[in-house]
Amino acid sequence: MASTEASVPRLHLRVANKKAYVWDVEDIATIRTKHRLCGVFTGTLPHMSQQNLFLGVPMVLLPEEVVLLVENELAVLVDDPNAHIQPSVPELQRWNAKEKELAQLRLAQLNAAIASLPAVLSEEAMQKRKERELKRQAAAAKAAEAAAEGSIFAPPENAPPPPPPPEPQYTVVIPASSISFEWYNDSACHYTTIQSAKEAGIWEYPSNLHERAKCGVFRGLWEQGMYMGGGIKFGGDYLVYPGDPLRYHAHFSATVLESPTFSLTPMEIVAHGRLGTVTKKSHLLCGWDDEKKEVSYLSIEWAGFG
Amino acid sequence: MQAHPSYPALAHVLPKYPRAAGSLFQAYNDIVLVQEWTDVKVLDLEGISRAAITGKKPKTDATSYVVPCSLAETLSFGWLTTAFTLLSDPPEIFLAITSDDASIVYYKLSRGIVKPQV
Repeated sequence: MASTEASVPRLHLRVANKKAYVWDVEDIATIRTKHRLCGVFTGTLPHMSQQNLFLGVPMVLLPEEVVLLVENELAVLVDDPNAHIQPSVPELQRWNAKEKELAQLRLAQLNAAIASLPAVLSEEAMQKRKERELKRQAAAAKAAEAAAEGSIFAPPENAPPPPPPPEPQYTVVIPASSISFEWYNDSACHYTTIQSAKEAGIWEYPSNLHERAKCGVFRGLWEQGMYMGGGIKFGGDYLVYPGDPLRYHAHFSATVLESPTFSLTPMEIVAHGRLGTVTKKSHLLCGWDDEKKEVSYLSIEWAGFG
Repeated sequence: MQAHPSYPALAHVLPKYPRAAGSLFQAYNDIVLVQEWTDVKVLDLEGISRAAITGKKPKTDATSYVVPCSLAETLSFGWLTTAFTLLSDPPEIFLAITSDDASIVYYKLSRGIVKPQV
């Protein structure tokens, strides 16, 4: 894949079901700090998939962010399902052996850690534990005696040999990213332009005037140095931050108007303006002109009188 | 309406733009009598089929611009930018939104990305 800027490799955005995900933490850091895009974390914890207070990788990008990254030649789209190839038997065996080795290593480390722990049980507890153990042994002996006396539950003479003890169980860690697998190869499913990804059927955005307007407005604000987040909490299309959202409050909520003639009612102006004033934000009307490919802005605030 | 003391100042535009007459009349009276602006004038803006009001807020020297509209109208982004252009691009205009029950509300529109006041 020949990149125009050979020195900076393009980020790989992994597309599944027409959404672009970023699985690599380093890539997420690059997108946030260098490219000034926030995305949204969507990964939950495997054992608590219902909680959504603390989310992690993968990060899903807004479609506008994806279009911007690809158009600026900072990222390529990867057809993720097709990058996973059917693994061969030797590949799976190698993977299995490696996992087992890792599990043994982990077990050994755990045992070593336990052995090095100081004894924490008190004298009294040790005594109680010993008594419990003796009681259990007595009960077991009684049961064995009963069985020997010709119980119907006694095993028959010609019983088959017991099955071999199962292999010790261990936890398999599934890595977040597939790139370490031998059966993952994305070199053949890169798309360097939105158009080529659309032709391959893995991407659709932007597909109409409204989506083109959103991409145009997003780019316009981004080029002014703004950071954008989802605007649902303030009834707009975006929340606009003058710097990283972790450091700044949003100054604006923004709505996208897809053409200069797109209808806008005075009631919308009142609603946006009033909400913005209460929350110490201005509301931005972002007007897109699809012929000129230009954005212009109007800021709304309550007048302070009347 | 013709008997109202404000009518003479508006007589040249009210019959010209009947659809905008109600909101202009209401906004003009509010600006003059309630907000007590001074140097109030009426400007004919043919491009958006209505008249705008200019004047100075009490204790200020800068000219402010008011464009009246009714709550029932449908505007557009292009309409608003045309209003700015017809008023020779002031940094901000006030949109006076009027309703049938004689209530009125003003919103300040500024060109470009203007930070909210702290």
